[in-house]
Amino acid sequence: MGKTAAVGKACLNKGRELMKTFSSYHPAVLLVYFLSVILVAVIAKNPVMRVLALGGGFCLCSILERPKEIPRNLAFYIPLFFLIAVITPLFFHNGVTPLFFFNGNAVTLEAVYSGCNTAVLCVAVLYWFQCYQYIMTSDKVLFLLGAAVPKLSLLASAVLRFIPMFQSRFHKVNQSQKAMGLYTSPSYVDKIRGGLRVSSATLTWALEHAIDMGDSMKARGYGLKGRSSFSLFRFTGRDGRYLLIMAALLLVVIIGMIKNIIRFSFYPRISTFPQTPFAWAVYAAFGILCFLPSVLEIKEDLKWNYYRSKI
Amino acid sequence: MKKDILAILALILLVSVLVMGTNIQSVDEYYMTHMDDITENSETVTISIRCDTVLDHYDRLPEELKSEEFIPSDGIILPPTEYVLRPGDTVFDLLDRAARYNRIQLEYQGADQNNFGTVYIRGMHYLYEFSCGPLSGWMYRVNGKFPNLGCSNYTLQDGDEVEWIYTCDLGEDIGKDSGGGQSLPE
Repeated sequence: MGKTAAVGKACLNKGRELMKTFSSYHPAVLLVYFLSVILVAVIAKNPVMRVLALGGGFCLCSILERPKEIPRNLAFYIPLFFLIAVITPLFFHNGVTPLFFFNGNAVTLEAVYSGCNTAVLCVAVLYWFQCYQYIMTSDKVLFLLGAAVPKLSLLASAVLRFIPMFQSRFHKVNQSQKAMGLYTSPSYVDKIRGGLRVSSATLTWALEHAIDMGDSMKARGYGLKGRSSFSLFRFTGRDGRYLLIMAALLLVVIIGMIKNIIRFSFYPRISTFPQTPFAWAVYAAFGILCFLPSVLEIKEDLKWNYYRSKI
Repeated sequence: MKKDILAILALILLVSVLVMGTNIQSVDEYYMTHMDDITENSETVTISIRCDTVLDHYDRLPEELKSEEFIPSDGIILPPTEYVLRPGDTVFDLLDRAARYNRIQLEYQGADQNNFGTVYIRGMHYLYEFSCGPLSGWMYRVNGKFPNLGCSNYTLQDGDEVEWIYTCDLGEDIGKDSGGGQSLPE
């Protein structure tokens, strides 16, 4: 692994089950896949596309995560959904159906629906990024982009790793502070102040860690000219087939988007869902694209269980 | 414990200030506007709302606005109508009252929300700024002249004629000679 070991190993030590079918594909295929799903969901305003992206992201994430993480995720995403859905109508007042008037500007039904649509997108993108984090480990990112843009790819992998690292560090600091007698006061104000102290300490540590990591990678000769790195990734026929299927599905979706076949607008009046045969084809293509990794995982799981039952 | 009670009181204070600052009206409440009857010795002003410039650039509109419902075929949203002038009325006050009375949709940015210290009209009758190209938006004219003042800073006088016109070209298509946001000295 060489120079990528420092970053790569830290990601592997979370006890996650990484022996998954989808993550064994070539990193380039995976990167193209994630980018295309997320970009299509963001650009196409059609709610059908966004719900499909949400469904696909949720399924894949539930397969990749440990089961006890699923309700914990929902506990974060459901309030987030409602927060976005409630805030949007306070800023967009267009629409033919006013519900009530807030400081002289209308809060409309159209804006509420549009807010829900945006919220679906946000949650979907967060789910996909969670999957991305599981599958595109730092070594893959560095393998793909390390030679071309060494600094940027190191930064990208560090940023994506930041939140889980911050969480675990926060937990550690919290535990040690607790052992030293923090949180013994029954007052809530004291508890909040204790929490702030812990996060301040963790933040300082994280900033220092970022500099340390940069120095350490530099000391190992990361990003120097002419250096190559060892990797196990090979582009096989299986990767090619997957890429072809993906390209075909994506082509249908992109044509549908360029030709305004799945056009949908919320203002001033909610338009009807495009239901032409081509629109259905676009929905179907994007649906297959979103659920493809989940299907692969389930298929492999079934196969594994079937073979094991024969032993 | 003492700290907790103080914190809760501060929180309650904050929430109540926020609640006091908001004004929630039902749809009927909002549109229920009293228009004074015109008597012989009352001061009056005329207001009209037009968007006929859009008809020349119909292709620039987004698909969802291309209908008779949102863009009238003659471009007249409110024909010239005479209303009683209340003392101290600004152009915005008059527009707000007329729009409520005629149930015309109106979205604006409050005077406290921008750097100009004046109300900015974002959209009327579902026709918004930038709806018809990047140089489009609502402008107003009083007695045929474009005042270089925000609509909530211009105080009206008896007999004034206010026109709200939609421009697709920063005012040049409706007869304003100085282009752009800058005003040339006269």
